[in-house]
Amino acid sequence: MPFKLEDYAIDAAGCPRCSNCKFIEHVWIKSARFARQCPINVMHRFNLYSAHGLMHSALSILDGTLEFTPKLQDALEKCTSCGACDVRCKRNLDLEILAVIETLKARAVEMGKGPALVNKAIADKIAKSNNRYGSPHQNRLKWMTKEIKVADKADVLYFVGCRASYADKEIAQATARILNKAGIDFMVSADEWCCGYPLYSTGQLDAFQKQVKHNLDMLQKSGAKTVILSCAEGYKTWKVDYPKMLDRNTEDMGFRVLHIVELIDELIKDGSFKLKNRLDMKVTYHDPCNLGRLSEPWYHWDGVHKKWGALEPPKIWRRGDKGVYEPPRDILTSIPGIELVEMERMRDNSWCCGAGAGAREAHEDYAMRVASERLEEVKATGAEAVVSCCPACKEILKEAAAKSSEGIKVYDITEIILQAMA
Amino acid sequence: MSIPKEAYQALQSIVGPEWVSDDPAICNADMKGGAGTGIRDIDSVRPVCSIQPRTTEEVQGIVKIANRYGLLYSPTSTFFNADTAPHLKNTILLDLKRMEDFEIHEKDMYVVSQPGVAFSMVQWELFKKGLFTFVPGSGSQCSVVANHIFCGDAPMGWRYGLGYRRILACEWVLPDGEILKLGTKSMIDDYFWGEGPGPDLRGLLRGTKGHSGGLGVVTKLAFKVFPFVPEMPWPVGLGPHATYQLPESRFKIYNCRFPSIKQLADAVYELGKCEIGLVVMHVDPVFGYVARARGRGANVFWEEFTKAKETLDVNQGWLRVVLCGFTSEKQLAYEEKVLVEVVTAHGATAKPARPFDETNLQSADAISANFVGRRFASILYFESLDHCVKVGKENAERKKKYVPPLPDTYGLPGWYVPYDFAHICKEENLNQSDVDDVVTLGELANECRQNDLKMGAYPWAEDPNMFGPAFFGYDRKLKEIKEIFDPCNVSNPPAPIGHGHFTPTKPTE
Repeated sequence: MPFKLEDYAIDAAGCPRCSNCKFIEHVWIKSARFARQCPINVMHRFNLYSAHGLMHSALSILDGTLEFTPKLQDALEKCTSCGACDVRCKRNLDLEILAVIETLKARAVEMGKGPALVNKAIADKIAKSNNRYGSPHQNRLKWMTKEIKVADKADVLYFVGCRASYADKEIAQATARILNKAGIDFMVSADEWCCGYPLYSTGQLDAFQKQVKHNLDMLQKSGAKTVILSCAEGYKTWKVDYPKMLDRNTEDMGFRVLHIVELIDELIKDGSFKLKNRLDMKVTYHDPCNLGRLSEPWYHWDGVHKKWGALEPPKIWRRGDKGVYEPPRDILTSIPGIELVEMERMRDNSWCCGAGAGAREAHEDYAMRVASERLEEVKATGAEAVVSCCPACKEILKEAAAKSSEGIKVYDITEIILQAMA
Repeated sequence: MSIPKEAYQALQSIVGPEWVSDDPAICNADMKGGAGTGIRDIDSVRPVCSIQPRTTEEVQGIVKIANRYGLLYSPTSTFFNADTAPHLKNTILLDLKRMEDFEIHEKDMYVVSQPGVAFSMVQWELFKKGLFTFVPGSGSQCSVVANHIFCGDAPMGWRYGLGYRRILACEWVLPDGEILKLGTKSMIDDYFWGEGPGPDLRGLLRGTKGHSGGLGVVTKLAFKVFPFVPEMPWPVGLGPHATYQLPESRFKIYNCRFPSIKQLADAVYELGKCEIGLVVMHVDPVFGYVARARGRGANVFWEEFTKAKETLDVNQGWLRVVLCGFTSEKQLAYEEKVLVEVVTAHGATAKPARPFDETNLQSADAISANFVGRRFASILYFESLDHCVKVGKENAERKKKYVPPLPDTYGLPGWYVPYDFAHICKEENLNQSDVDDVVTLGELANECRQNDLKMGAYPWAEDPNMFGPAFFGYDRKLKEIKEIFDPCNVSNPPAPIGHGHFTPTKPTE
C-alpha cells in the first residue's frame, strides 16, 4: 500500500496542538457565530474530535498505547475529511494533517475497526454493481434523454459519477446539455465505474485501487485526453487520489481533469459561451471541499525528512490557496439578474456540508446537523438560494432545507447555467 | 486508573452524559497541551475523564465532586498552555471550550468573557463597534481569559501594557468549589471595574505566568478594550497569504536597521519618551526569515537564511515600528515625523513596509517558529531593555555550544519587545530543535537558568522551585497560598509551583 500511517508519523508528531485547526483563518472571521470550521469538533467539542486529538491518537496507535476505541471509531467515521484543518495548519506549518487522518482511517480498516457497517455495505455494492447504490450497472446511462447528443469518439469524456447517473440525474442532464450548447464534443462510457471516493474516503484503500485501475483502463481505451466532471468528489478523486495511489504527479497522468465550471468559465471568458437569460435571484455560493481547498494537483514526494524541517528533495506543498474558487463565482456573476452574496466561511475557509467521507451514510443525524449549520449561514446572508458544484452537497443541503421552514432553494450550478443559457 | 463509578455518574448528572467521557481515546487526546509540546508535557498522563461544563455552576459542581472523591482536576480551554496538561494520575480534565459566551460593553469599553472564547472570535465583533483588543504572539486561537490571567504579552503592549493589567472584575471558582467574585462583581451585577472591597486578589491570578489551573477556575472575566480607528481593516488573501489590509490613512509600518543594538536601544528609549507608536520592537532576525518563508516551506527558509549568513550581523538591530493615528490622520503624520527624526539621529533609516497586519490585530503566527525543527523552547525575560539586550546576546552566544544538534542561528539575538513605552521589556529567544533533540534544548535552557541565578536575573515563567530561593523565597509564599486556597490539593497540583521548563513532576499514585 503506497499510502501508510507510518509515513506520516513525523507529521503527527509535529502537531503543536495550537488549536488553529478548529477555526477558520482568523482574519476572515466576521462573527463568533461562524468562527469555527471543524464539523466534528463543533458537534462534539472534545479534542479527540479534531485534528489536534487525531494527531495524538495516530501517534498512540503507532506506538501501541491506544486501541481503536468506540469514540475514536466514531470520530473517524464522522470526520468528513473536509481538509479544513489541513489548510489551516499549513498556514504556519509544513505538516500533512489530512494525510494522517486518511491513513488513520485506513489503519482502522486494516485492524477491522472500520469503516462503519453501512460504508462496508457500500463497498460491497460497488464491488457487485460498480456503483454506490447497488443499482444494476446497465442503468448507469439511463439519465440520458433523447435531445442529448453524445459522440462515439471525442477527446473529452464526461465522467458522470454515481450520484448524477442514478440519483441526481438532473445534474447529468444539465451538464450534457451545457456541453452540447457549448459545442463541446464529448463521450460518456457505459463502462464507467464508481470513481471510488466512497472507498478512499473511508479508508478502504484495497477496494479503491480496483476502481482506480478500472477507470484508468477505461479512459485509456476511450482515447480521451480530458475528463470532465460535474461532481466535486469525483473531481478530487480523479485529480488527486488516482495519482496519489500510483505514486505519480497529477500532471504526469497523461490526461487533464476539469470540473464543468472550469470549462464553462474559460468559454465565457474567451467569449464563446454566453449566459444571457435573466435570473433575478439573490444567491450565495457553497464551496465544496473537494472542489476548493482539496483540489490542488497532487505532487508525489518520495524523499526524506532531514534536520530542522528540511526535506530532500524539496516538496511542493498543497496549502489550499489554489483551489477552484473563482470560476463558479465568475459564472454566477456573469448571469444577468443574479446577485451573489458571500457567506462568512467561504473559499478555503468553507464549512463542509456534512456529506463527505461516508459520514452521512454512517451518521445521518450528525450529518444533517452539519448541513443545517451551513443553512444557518446561508440564511444569515439573506440569499434565497444556495448554489453548489457537487451532487453530494446539493443532496444534503436540499434535504436540510426541506426540513427547515426558511424556504431556501438549493441548486447545483449546472441547473443555474442551464436556466441562464439563451 | 479509572474514575469511581459514583463520581462518574455524579459528573454525568451535572453536565449530561454527552459532555463527559472516560473513553481512553478521548482521555488520550487530552493528555498533551500546546506550547511546550514534547518539553513541558513529557511526562503528562491521561486524565481519568474529560468533561465539558457550560456554566459556572457546572464548573462548581465538578470541582465539589473532585474534592468529595479525592480526584484532581485541571482546567483548559484552547489548550495552548502545556502546564495544564494532566501530570498526575486521577486528574479530571476540565475542557472549557463550551463556555464560549461573551458580552461587549460598548459604552464602557470592556468585554466579559467565558474561558472558551478565543481572541479571533471577539476581535471582529469589537471592530464592528469601533473597538479592538490585540492578540498575543502565540495567536488568535488562544483563549482571551487564559491569556489575560497567564500574562497577556503582545507587541502592542508597547502602548497598552501587559494584558493582565487590563483585567477588570471576574468570577472565579476556587479550588474547593466556592465562587469568588472580584471587583464590582462582588457588590453589584456588573463587571466594569477591577477593584472592590478588601485586598485585590487579582494578583493571585496573574503574576507573570498565571497559576496554570493551580488555584481553581476563572469562569468569567472582564477585560478592557480600546477605541479603534474609524476605518476597518480588511481581510485579503487565501491560505498562508491571508492577512488584514490596514487602512493606510491611519496605519504606517516601518522597518529600521540599526548599526548596533546599542543604538537601537537608545532609539527605543527615545521613542518611549516621545510616547509614539503602537508597536515598537526588535524582531528576532531568525523569525524574520521564518515569517518570510511561511507558506513556502522550511527548505525555502534554510536556503534564504543560509544565503544571508554572510550579510547578517549579530550586532545590528532590526526594529519594527507600527504607527497608528488613533485620533486623526494628523496624529499619524506627527508620529511619523518623530519616528524618522529619532531613528535617523541614532544611525538608522526608517523604511516603509507593507501595510498588512503583522501587528497582532489578528494574525499572530509565532506558531510558525515550529516549522524549523518542529519543537521550540522560548527562553524569556521581563526586565529592563538594557538587561534584555545583555542577556539576549549572552544566551545567543551560549547556544553556539549546542550547535548541532540545535540549528545554527549564527549567534543572532532574539526578540526585544518593550512594553509601556520602554519601561519594561521582554526578551525571547526562540530556540528550535528537532523532535529528537529536545534534551539538548533542555541542556541549553538549564545553562541559561544557572547563569540567571548567578547574576540574579529573573527569567519569565520559570519553575519557582528553582528561582524562588533566589528571589525572596517566593516559592514558599506560593506554597502557602496554595495550601490556603486548595486545602485538599486537587487543583492541578502542584501548580502554581512546578511544571517548569524541563523540570516536570514525576507521576505519582
